[in-house]
Amino acid sequence: MLDNTDKVYGFMPGCSLPSYNPHAVVETTEFLASKFEKFSAVQKCCGKPTKAIGQYDLFKERFAGLQKDMDDVQIEEMIVACQSCYLTFKEISTTAVTSLWALWPKLGMPEEIKNKAKDSDMVFTVHDSCSTRFETELQDGIRWILTELGYKIHESDYSREKTRCCGFGGMVVPANPEVAKKVMVRRVETLVEPNIVVYCAACRSSLLQADAKAWHILDLIWGPVVYEGDESPLDVLSNPAKSWINRYKAKKGINKVVK
Amino acid sequence: MDRVKFSDAILESAQMVTGDCMGLEQAFCVAACPMNTDAIGYVNLIAEGKNEEAIDLIREKLFLPNTLGRICAHPCEENCRRNTEYNQPISIAALKRYAAEKADDEKRWDLSVKDNTGKKVVIVGAGPAGAQSAIDLRREGHAVTIIEKLNVLGGMMRVGIPEYRLPRDVIDFEYSYLTKLGIEIKLGVEVGVDVSFEDLRNDYDIVILAHGAHVGSIIPIPGHKSKGVISAQEYLKEISLTRKSTIAGKRIAVIGGGDVAMDCARSSWRVGAETVYQCSLENMDNLPASKEEIEESLEEGVIFNAGYGPLEIIEENGKVKGLLIQKVASIFDTEGNFNPKYEGEKIILDVDTVVFATGQLVEDITKGSLPRERAGRYTVDSKTLETSIEGVFVAGDAAGTNIVIEAMSHGRKAALSIKNLLNAKPLDYGRDFEKEGSYKTKLDIPLPEGIENLPRLSGNFREPEIRKRDFLECDTGFTDEQALKEASRCLECECKFCMQECVMMNDFGDCPKDILDKLVIDGEMDPLLAYSCNGCDNCTIVCPKELPLKKIFVGSRKDFVAANNGKSPIPGHKVINMHQLLGFSWLFTTKRKKGGRK
Repeated sequence: MLDNTDKVYGFMPGCSLPSYNPHAVVETTEFLASKFEKFSAVQKCCGKPTKAIGQYDLFKERFAGLQKDMDDVQIEEMIVACQSCYLTFKEISTTAVTSLWALWPKLGMPEEIKNKAKDSDMVFTVHDSCSTRFETELQDGIRWILTELGYKIHESDYSREKTRCCGFGGMVVPANPEVAKKVMVRRVETLVEPNIVVYCAACRSSLLQADAKAWHILDLIWGPVVYEGDESPLDVLSNPAKSWINRYKAKKGINKVVK
Repeated sequence: MDRVKFSDAILESAQMVTGDCMGLEQAFCVAACPMNTDAIGYVNLIAEGKNEEAIDLIREKLFLPNTLGRICAHPCEENCRRNTEYNQPISIAALKRYAAEKADDEKRWDLSVKDNTGKKVVIVGAGPAGAQSAIDLRREGHAVTIIEKLNVLGGMMRVGIPEYRLPRDVIDFEYSYLTKLGIEIKLGVEVGVDVSFEDLRNDYDIVILAHGAHVGSIIPIPGHKSKGVISAQEYLKEISLTRKSTIAGKRIAVIGGGDVAMDCARSSWRVGAETVYQCSLENMDNLPASKEEIEESLEEGVIFNAGYGPLEIIEENGKVKGLLIQKVASIFDTEGNFNPKYEGEKIILDVDTVVFATGQLVEDITKGSLPRERAGRYTVDSKTLETSIEGVFVAGDAAGTNIVIEAMSHGRKAALSIKNLLNAKPLDYGRDFEKEGSYKTKLDIPLPEGIENLPRLSGNFREPEIRKRDFLECDTGFTDEQALKEASRCLECECKFCMQECVMMNDFGDCPKDILDKLVIDGEMDPLLAYSCNGCDNCTIVCPKELPLKKIFVGSRKDFVAANNGKSPIPGHKVINMHQLLGFSWLFTTKRKKGGRK
């Protein structure tokens, strides 16, 4: 438990994560709810895509709605699982923000999960999110989680501050799909191992589109232990219907856990 | 979409990028070359074994690659990053020779010329400056005639640079390009004897004086009129034309520390000298001669007295009997004027011949029609090479150049002026004088990671004791293996770090400057460019100047939206609008508080 038990912590999973893996969202929410006496949760978009395509006024309007939601449930410090949310909050929100990945080492790994992969032969390369390339605490947190789980890591030359874009950033996919695809393929080529760990569900989708195997870090925390040769979960985000159903499931799951 | 009005912040950032981006800056070697030859290009083609492409690339700028490959003073090598970092420059000149020997084929020479203009140009002097002017003007469709006092082509390359460094058949072969191009060459015609300067002015639209600086300079120290004293120019000319010297004895002293002095010293062996001395005011560390020439002179046994100045030529019966020299204390006085002071021991060199390689003068063939300066050089506008007489230009050593490649650059410069003049345009029309000739590139980049200091390879030299007694070429050039190895050392100096990182910019241009010039100049940008940026910032991270590209590409989207009724101009972004509507809708959102349903 963190020292500051008076503060109201909140959790916001973002967009792509609940669309990809609502189960992981619910498990994480439950875990965080157990760690904080005062806890709230919000599921909503931060508006980054609106901003990214240049609609700044609309973005501000939309974020104001989110800010109101957070204020309504008295959140004083927001824990985010999305790197874009993290940067958007830092830029515009009146609420303090912390990354789930930087926070996790301070919370500790549940005993039943710790070292669960100690017998796995899997060696992962971490694909760091380019938007938070200079956030070393956040990056350290991901390595800490992998090590706590018992997985081995092989760092690529293009990790941390030298990481390269997965191809998804900047809303390029719908604007210039050919370029986005080339960026995806090039990113995979610069990773040293065929098995990749990400902490952004959109990054995971991009890497899968470039024929890599990729797991979200929450897949590894809450899902089964994986071994060399295992297939990674399917690319759910490429299927809009499934994605929105998942988003809905995540919402329902949060509602069940936080009450 | 309305015309996009880009915000000041975007335009200022774009101006910063186009001002500071080094993506179009030339490599050190290319900028240093007075002809801006694409050295980095041809060296790398050689490294790939593409010798034909390499020689074609060289010939885009140079009509005598095989000549220059042997004798160019190669400012490119001095400025090569492997020289400034490790003192081991790429042997760029020798690689040029290799490409020429391997792949130069007159069948592929570019002989295209524009339609005849009816304008007539006469060039005095068949050296590198005159030849280059002739080529450039003939290509423009002008009728060009070269008149040359000597009965041979090449100017100082023919009667200054010794045969053992530059075989004469190489010059003649490469000069055949001029006649193939339709340039008329008249040998053995001397201005002032066979034809007057006035005749030339009357008979031609343009006159270019490119007759070099062939008059020797003898320092008037006591004894300088003795028999056995000669200027380097006279000495080398006779040896060049006859492989003999009627004046040289067996013990020869050469005064001077430059390449010409080295040529005199080394030529002396070849006309039968038994002992050859050198003396110069400059000491060994400061000799103006190229390292190669100094090393080859030492190998051939020239005895150096660098740092000693000549006081007196000792004569006996009007003939040279010795040379008195003394150690130099200083060359310049406290005010920086040339004023050599001597100290300590005096030495008498036991010689019968003294050669002065102490500079050369320009002969006035205009009979005083043009003002002149130091060393007899004609006064010219240094940018355009025009003289005080309209239609008369000067190029090459007669206007102050010192090395062959500079003389060629002068030839090109004069031709550019004349091209404008004959087209009734101002002489400076369409020209960037700063980049005509050698200039300093703005390229300022870190060394690539993992670079090793690999040693320079030089050509293959014949044994000094054998080569110094004949006129055959000393350096037999690179083998295939050596050339590949040497060319592969090139560091390929360019600033394209961002282009190596960014996938999308490569679809829009060569570098940020190239890509954003349109925004700066015309205030326009392709929306697809702005919307193809992932915003990852890798470009800025690797940029030596940390230029803010994301700020421009992602930041300008606001301006596109403003010009497009508040929406993205990209058709594919309709899906984002829908996505966002759902992402904020009650159906998919929630807010919950532990201990109290909200």
